[in-house]
Amino acid sequence: MSDFNITVNGRQIPVIKGQTVLQASLAAGIDIPVFCWHPQLVPVGACRICLVEVEKWPKLQVACATIATDGMIVHTDSPKTIKARQGVLEFILAHHPLDCPTCDKGGECDLQNLTFKYGLDYSRQHEPKHRVIVDSNSTFDDLPIGPEIIRNQNRCIHCYRCTRIVDEIAFEDDLGAYQRGYHTEILPPPGRQIRNLYSGNVVEYCPVGALTNDDWRYKVRVWLTKQTNVICPHCPDGCNMKLWNFHNKLFRATSNANESIDNGFLCDIGRYGYQYVASADRIKRPMVRRAGELVEAGWEEALTLIKKQTDDIKSKLSGSGFFGFIGDIRTNEEIYSFQRFVRRVIGSNNIDHRFHRRRRLTPGEEVSSRGIESDNAEYKDIENADVIVVLGSDLHSENPITSLRVKRAVKRHGARVILLNPLPTPLGKRTATLEVIHRPGMAAVLLHGIIDAMVGSSRFDASALKLTAAEIADFRKANAEFSGSGGAAVAGVDLALISSVAEMLVAAQSVVILTGSYVERDPLRDTLYLAVANLQSFCKSARKIFLPPDSNSVGAAYFGVEPAVLPGRQSWGKKATCEDLWHGPIPDTPGKDTIGILEAIDEDEIECGFVFNADPVRLFPDGEYIRTVMEKLKLLVVVESFMTDTARLADVILPLSTFAEIEGTRINWEKRLQYSRRAIPPLHESKPGCEIIELLADRLGVRFNQPNPGDVYPEMAGFLPVGAPTTYAAVGKDGFLIRGATTDKPGKLADLKFVVPEIDAEYPYVLFVGNADHHRGALTERNETLMKFTSEPFVGISEADATDLAVSDGDLVKVESKYGRVVGKAMILHGLPNKRVLLPENFSEMSVNVLMGRQDKIDLVGLAKM
Amino acid sequence: MILSDSAKLQISQTAKRYPKARSAILPALHVAYEEHGYLSDQMYEEIAQVLDVKFIEVAEAASFYTMFPKAKRGKYLIQVCRNISCALLGSHHLTAYLLDKLNVELGEITADGLFTVVEVECLGSCTTAPMMQVNAHYYENLTVEKVDRLIDEFRSRK
Amino acid sequence: METKLLTQFVGDPQQHTIERAIEHGAYQAWQKVLKEIAPAALIQIVKDSGLRGRGGAGFPAGMKWGFVPKDSPKPEYLCCNADESEPGTCKDRVLLEGDPHAVVEGMMIASYAIGCHTAFFYIRGEYDVSQVRMSKAIDAAYAKGFLGKNILGSGYDLDIVVHRGGGAYICGEETALLSSLEGDKGLARLKPPFPAVEGLYNCPTIINNVETLANLPHIVMKGAQWFASLGTEKSKGTRIFSVSGHVKKPGNYELELGYPLKDLVYGLAGGILDDKPLKAIIPGGSSTPLLLPDKIDTKLDFESVAAAGSMLGSGAIIVIHEETCIVWVAEILAHFYMHESCGKCTPCRQGTGWMYEILRRIEAGRGKMEDIDTLLDIADNIEGNTICPLGDAAAVPVISTIKLFRDEYVYHIEHGKCKVQSQFKLRAK
Repeated sequence: MSDFNITVNGRQIPVIKGQTVLQASLAAGIDIPVFCWHPQLVPVGACRICLVEVEKWPKLQVACATIATDGMIVHTDSPKTIKARQGVLEFILAHHPLDCPTCDKGGECDLQNLTFKYGLDYSRQHEPKHRVIVDSNSTFDDLPIGPEIIRNQNRCIHCYRCTRIVDEIAFEDDLGAYQRGYHTEILPPPGRQIRNLYSGNVVEYCPVGALTNDDWRYKVRVWLTKQTNVICPHCPDGCNMKLWNFHNKLFRATSNANESIDNGFLCDIGRYGYQYVASADRIKRPMVRRAGELVEAGWEEALTLIKKQTDDIKSKLSGSGFFGFIGDIRTNEEIYSFQRFVRRVIGSNNIDHRFHRRRRLTPGEEVSSRGIESDNAEYKDIENADVIVVLGSDLHSENPITSLRVKRAVKRHGARVILLNPLPTPLGKRTATLEVIHRPGMAAVLLHGIIDAMVGSSRFDASALKLTAAEIADFRKANAEFSGSGGAAVAGVDLALISSVAEMLVAAQSVVILTGSYVERDPLRDTLYLAVANLQSFCKSARKIFLPPDSNSVGAAYFGVEPAVLPGRQSWGKKATCEDLWHGPIPDTPGKDTIGILEAIDEDEIECGFVFNADPVRLFPDGEYIRTVMEKLKLLVVVESFMTDTARLADVILPLSTFAEIEGTRINWEKRLQYSRRAIPPLHESKPGCEIIELLADRLGVRFNQPNPGDVYPEMAGFLPVGAPTTYAAVGKDGFLIRGATTDKPGKLADLKFVVPEIDAEYPYVLFVGNADHHRGALTERNETLMKFTSEPFVGISEADATDLAVSDGDLVKVESKYGRVVGKAMILHGLPNKRVLLPENFSEMSVNVLMGRQDKIDLVGLAKM
Repeated sequence: MILSDSAKLQISQTAKRYPKARSAILPALHVAYEEHGYLSDQMYEEIAQVLDVKFIEVAEAASFYTMFPKAKRGKYLIQVCRNISCALLGSHHLTAYLLDKLNVELGEITADGLFTVVEVECLGSCTTAPMMQVNAHYYENLTVEKVDRLIDEFRSRK
Repeated sequence: METKLLTQFVGDPQQHTIERAIEHGAYQAWQKVLKEIAPAALIQIVKDSGLRGRGGAGFPAGMKWGFVPKDSPKPEYLCCNADESEPGTCKDRVLLEGDPHAVVEGMMIASYAIGCHTAFFYIRGEYDVSQVRMSKAIDAAYAKGFLGKNILGSGYDLDIVVHRGGGAYICGEETALLSSLEGDKGLARLKPPFPAVEGLYNCPTIINNVETLANLPHIVMKGAQWFASLGTEKSKGTRIFSVSGHVKKPGNYELELGYPLKDLVYGLAGGILDDKPLKAIIPGGSSTPLLLPDKIDTKLDFESVAAAGSMLGSGAIIVIHEETCIVWVAEILAHFYMHESCGKCTPCRQGTGWMYEILRRIEAGRGKMEDIDTLLDIADNIEGNTICPLGDAAAVPVISTIKLFRDEYVYHIEHGKCKVQSQFKLRAK
């Protein structure tokens, strides 16, 4: 599909209006060399290597910035062009040090490659090479400019990709170009380091070895390695990566650019977050508890023990005495076969993957809450939105690449971004148009206040909505207490600010609403979902995306790791299909969810659990309760890669392979199913999840004959919608978007029934849990590079509170609730409202959940200097 | 705080005249230089705050131009044009003469703290060459006699 | 003899005050424009006058104004380019110090023509006296009601903002000027888009040189025909020539375009210093090719100088007598371009430094014969391949000096020293 043609080297090639000569040529397979051009950056025409000859134009033109016009005749290989290209290369090489033997970029260096292809094979440069000397006693001019990145200015070819990526893509400001002429130097701002969450991209996209990272430095030569395409396991953004290994040792991760998702960028967590695979702390062999201690054992011993004890418990309690937990980070194949194992082999429907809930949902509620789900949406919907609302999310740390897409929307077409959070987040600086900080727990009130202000706006157009006037009036009346200045006061937000938000939403042609962890873990989460659905009804065109917590939360929800749904999110009525497929019965009634399971354990109704790469002892919002309950289990089988808090309570531990050692599929927040290949064979005695489940099932009497993910996939794919790929080979680069039916109009507009939580005088601080810089979840702690950025937990407090407590940065502070306490070093967070505390959940030395109680709607703590 | 309140006020007033405050980075750097005779990271920080721009933008801009040095200079910064019209009339000799007379190296401060001599490019005084710019003033049509007299005058000023 | 049009009153030490300037006719043109001349008509007058830019490129001013989109929803901006930094050039300074109101008035007229309400005066940071005088002139113009809101009841608003540069020759290049004005480093930008369509803050912007603008009051008062009657067929009006270097009476001379170079150098400028033989003349600032003495009869207008193998450029005439080493000249100029390169594009950033280093080595006596061809090839690899004309300008002295004085280069290389020593000393008195 093209608008017209141009001629390049005598060949007609199609052009879409607006494309540059370079874009059209590359699309047609014509190679034009580039250095400073990058598909995601605004062309600057700095390197000049893409100069081409355009007939009738007096000078050579840079192909990267010349818009193709109908009838243009271009030569990329005429003598003039070749001479200019050689000239540019010669200019670059004139002062480029001959570092190739010791330069990390060797073998994948654009300068090497282009010189080889186009350059002269002699030098006539006789002057001493310019050097930006770092240490006059050394010939190495390497300067660390951040925890991970090292700069060698001598090698720099001044393409400015690095500073442009930091500025244009990441909206950060920790790398710049100083001075002028050939003295131009790339550096962070004076006195600072480059340490933004996307900093690794400057290393990947530096065409030469001017910017390198410590992770890859001097360890291996790229031509010795093999690349494998994988999907990042760290968050539900679903970025495509390549893992590079040599002799089955992983050396680095780089982007496997996917324009539908990541546009070629990785956050540092994905980039350096493979290091945990080789961690010395891996559980290497099975472990069994003997005389109170966990000791290493063989697989046979472990499986025998499991068989014996399972049989014992089953004879007493039948299947309902068991439960299964699995973590959202596993692949679909593991998730599917795990729930199949628990239901069919163990005989229990007590299965869950969600550990932040505080209130038990009945099966009925489970089913009906499905009515409020994320809409079908993709990254490009975020990019094209007029207004992006981020509710209850530190999007920057929870979904770094989604954040980049939001920034792209701002950059490309001035999208407005509204943050609605109980505390400030990094997107507030330079990305958000409006950052609204509301009182803790009042998000739903705020949303309704915004709705009311929208209806009251002079530009509100009810005819554009699918609501009747009566419905709107009824709704307003029912929620009157949350509107106007009264509602604003309850929400803790200026009415003027609420009006500004409302005006933006009323004027917007398309809105995207994103929610994150502060919604997901809110004790009143379902109320919030309703409030978001309500807001959506009042927008002309809005999509809501409830961003899930982990990289395969969508898969876990889809493939039936919930007590009242079956794979494919089918209702209980389809039970027979599953029994057919699995050649045997599964229990009749839906099972218990996490809370129900814990209560049942507490009442001795459940005695055995299989916990598969999940850590509820660390995550469940009541540390004391969960620990007490889990300790009651007679048999706790934990399948894990690391000694987590839950694993420490296990009776049997089976070593589990990590994401790099298994193949499988994952589903990101777009509900896009993607395939991740196995990069290295399982390390130590660990086994891939499917194989472990097959072994367990077999030992317990049911043979599925599907020990490998590839065996599981075809059956599992049967639960995917029509059109889904049925083999791995059929899963293409863009994966498969799972699309369910969406309703045109959400159900009845929901009223808000809501009580304002009280703040306790003894515990006057509201507790928030978040991610430390360069951390997400519990795995990042095990990656050396990520630990360089933040190596220990902190207690985040406001300046005023610090003054009140007589506390400075780094002082030890005790955080105490009526349930427990933690200790950490104070960190003053500028802009944090008073009487709020932010703790990171990423460090095993600080278990945040000991401060929480499962009956509480809001977590309150007290602070004191130690 | 290094910049005075009046400097900051001047900067913020100047910023109002531009459609975008960022344009006031260069005028702000001039204000800072005129107040202190050199620039520093701390001043960039303060300018960035007053203008509500990024610290890095101020730092990068300052590093690009010749009029915002970080190095401290003598009380009298003597800038001798070394470009063609002046060179044809002896400006290189003028530089050598000054360095010798003041007993100082290029770019360094004399022992008494009074003088720094640097070479600069064309100052737009080509028809009155050779010349030098001392702080903000141009001294043109120079001769040895004039130079000697000027140096004496600078020395005698309080 | 001189034609003192723009410089008629610069000799008057009070001309920079508004009272004296008004006595001499300042702001009459402005008032006439506001009362009687619509912007479109004004543009046509300037087109008809044949006024060409006086910065160096010589682009027809009226035509440039015509490129501003008629119905732009974005504000239009005018920038007066007072970043005079081309070696040899000090003509704008004459006007800025000696008759600032003429420049202010020129800015007003140009702003009005293109529909601009906020104009910028970008002056090189080193021009202290000029900046002070222009600032005071602008303040005085405000006080008299010639600037501000609803000027003289015309309904037209205009503000002028004075913006000092920070010391960078590149900021005289229009796209780098805009970068600098926006608060950035003075990095050149790709064209297209052209500033007239997408310039300052991505809005339509016209950048005019000081001298160009100073012509406008005259054109308005005396008419396009009158202006077109001065000069030659394709080079209308007068221009201020800065004559510097080896002449007895260096200075700024305003002449009708078409004036013979010989009469300027040997007449008004008094002939060669110390009566030495002429070696070469750079006719339009350091970015223009040298002319040998056999071109002394060239007329000073755009086409004639071009036909002679050089360019009128900034009108800076640098005279060089025989006892000057041309390699030394080339080295000085090469140092300049290297120092001023913004560093964005490869050929200029690396090439200027390389040319300088080779020339320095030759001048220091360590040249190799292949250096000459290397220099020419470097210059060839720069020319036409850069983002902005600074690269082309840097190539010019190298190519020109080698072409005209190759023997001096060869001598340097073969003998390790200058063929002709340049021993320029400061005069004693």
